[in-house]
Amino acid sequence: MSRSCLKFGVAAALAILSAPMASAQEAVNADEMAALCHGGGLSTCVSATIPAAGTQAVQGWMSPEIGAAWAAGYKGKGVTITIVDDFSSTSRFSGNFGVGTQTQRHGEWTREEAGMIAPLATIRSKDFSTGSAVGLAPGLNVLNLSYGMYAKAGYSSNQIGWASEEASIISYATKGTAVVSKAAGNDSVAVGGITNGQQDYLDLALIGKPSAIFVGALSTNGTTTNKAQLAWYSNTAGSNPVVQSHFLVVGVDGGKTGLYGTSFAAPIISGYAAIIGSKFTKATPTQITNDLLNTARTDTLANYSASVYGKGEASLSRALAPVAIR
Amino acid sequence: MREKSGSRVRFGMMALLLCALIGASPAAAQEMTTSVVDIHQGSPLSDRARSLGNGGYELQNGTFVSFNQWYRAHWVDMHVDLLTQITEDTGILWGFGTGEEGEKYRIEPSLKLGFLTQMHPSPNSTLSLSLTTTIGGKLTEKACEADYGDFGTYSVNCRLAASRMAPEETLKYLVNAKPESQHIWLNYRVTF
Repeated sequence: MSRSCLKFGVAAALAILSAPMASAQEAVNADEMAALCHGGGLSTCVSATIPAAGTQAVQGWMSPEIGAAWAAGYKGKGVTITIVDDFSSTSRFSGNFGVGTQTQRHGEWTREEAGMIAPLATIRSKDFSTGSAVGLAPGLNVLNLSYGMYAKAGYSSNQIGWASEEASIISYATKGTAVVSKAAGNDSVAVGGITNGQQDYLDLALIGKPSAIFVGALSTNGTTTNKAQLAWYSNTAGSNPVVQSHFLVVGVDGGKTGLYGTSFAAPIISGYAAIIGSKFTKATPTQITNDLLNTARTDTLANYSASVYGKGEASLSRALAPVAIR
Repeated sequence: MREKSGSRVRFGMMALLLCALIGASPAAAQEMTTSVVDIHQGSPLSDRARSLGNGGYELQNGTFVSFNQWYRAHWVDMHVDLLTQITEDTGILWGFGTGEEGEKYRIEPSLKLGFLTQMHPSPNSTLSLSLTTTIGGKLTEKACEADYGDFGTYSVNCRLAASRMAPEETLKYLVNAKPESQHIWLNYRVTF
């Protein structure tokens, strides 16, 4: 690994961001039904099977705000969420999003979650082991990144020789051509911080990008009367004001789902972005990003501090509401 | 807005006065008498407008906006129904509604016209038929202007501005309702 060009060995460097206590993992045979797109070029394809896509019910793990989210029938229609994740490994684990216990791959979980938040969004699956560039669909795009790219600490992000996959994602976040929802990480450090001599360089590369959002996890959904705390494993916003201004938190109610980790926080923001995009059909990804960031609540959080919670807990209802009306 | 409400109140008062005068006219006009049949305030459309005021939502900064402020009126639609008797068994039914107006809706004034006729199948029974039609009185909900910050300013349905619906879509759900336009009434009365 040269100093000027740190090339990730994709298979070795990818780290999915479900917390270590996620349900017992088990290795089973490859799922023939999984929607995968291998090969070069823009290898994104539409998922063939999304287990929960037809289950449009508000689940206990969802924010109470979702309860009213679908009343008007707008559930992310016209927006494409691309899940960049693991859809091909033999590693699977169990959980329950309220539709019965399932055992599936990490990407299948995050895909299912995003699809449940925004049932009418088009959900695409992009297997991150391919390393090929992520393509954008017509209309508004949301990219869900429930993984990190870890390597030895000490490099700057511009020293990294990114694979086409991450290079495309970083480019979209830089140009504001897609909302990029990035799981903050599960090391209980600030975004981009060092753990065991390793850093998440994808975090570092996305800092300051206009349409990137880092998503931390709360242990529950917060309310003004029952304020939420940051989940013990979740990375924080840290002291960098640039990170703080693009950091949100959402409830990851692992007690109900058996699924823990900021991996399951990012898809909630992806779903929210899709719902906002289905309401404001001409909005740009950067506008949607700013809307989510600017309407986050701090009064639902215990001992709010920007260095911990960033902008605060995402509020879908406020993100959809007017600033003023007359 | 306040001036409009005031004029509506004055109109209502004048209507009441007119009714009283007409009601007192039988002595003056012996062949064509006019009587007040009914005076009441409120209507199904009034109730419907009032029901639109249930609920509210928070703006982006958490300020609660109640719908009630938009769907209340200082003057509730008043209806006066009169009967001008032409012959012993026929008469003209007529009347008017004052209409009402709130900040985000309007019920326009209405005019009622019709006739009443009766016959006596037997000495102690009466069969009455009336037909009335109402002109005007339509309920129209007004739009709001919602500022969505970076997303822009839109004309929206006030009640759905914070919903998941696209701003322009909400306009499809503005209430535009007509009152019952025609009413047929058949009555058979036996005295014993």
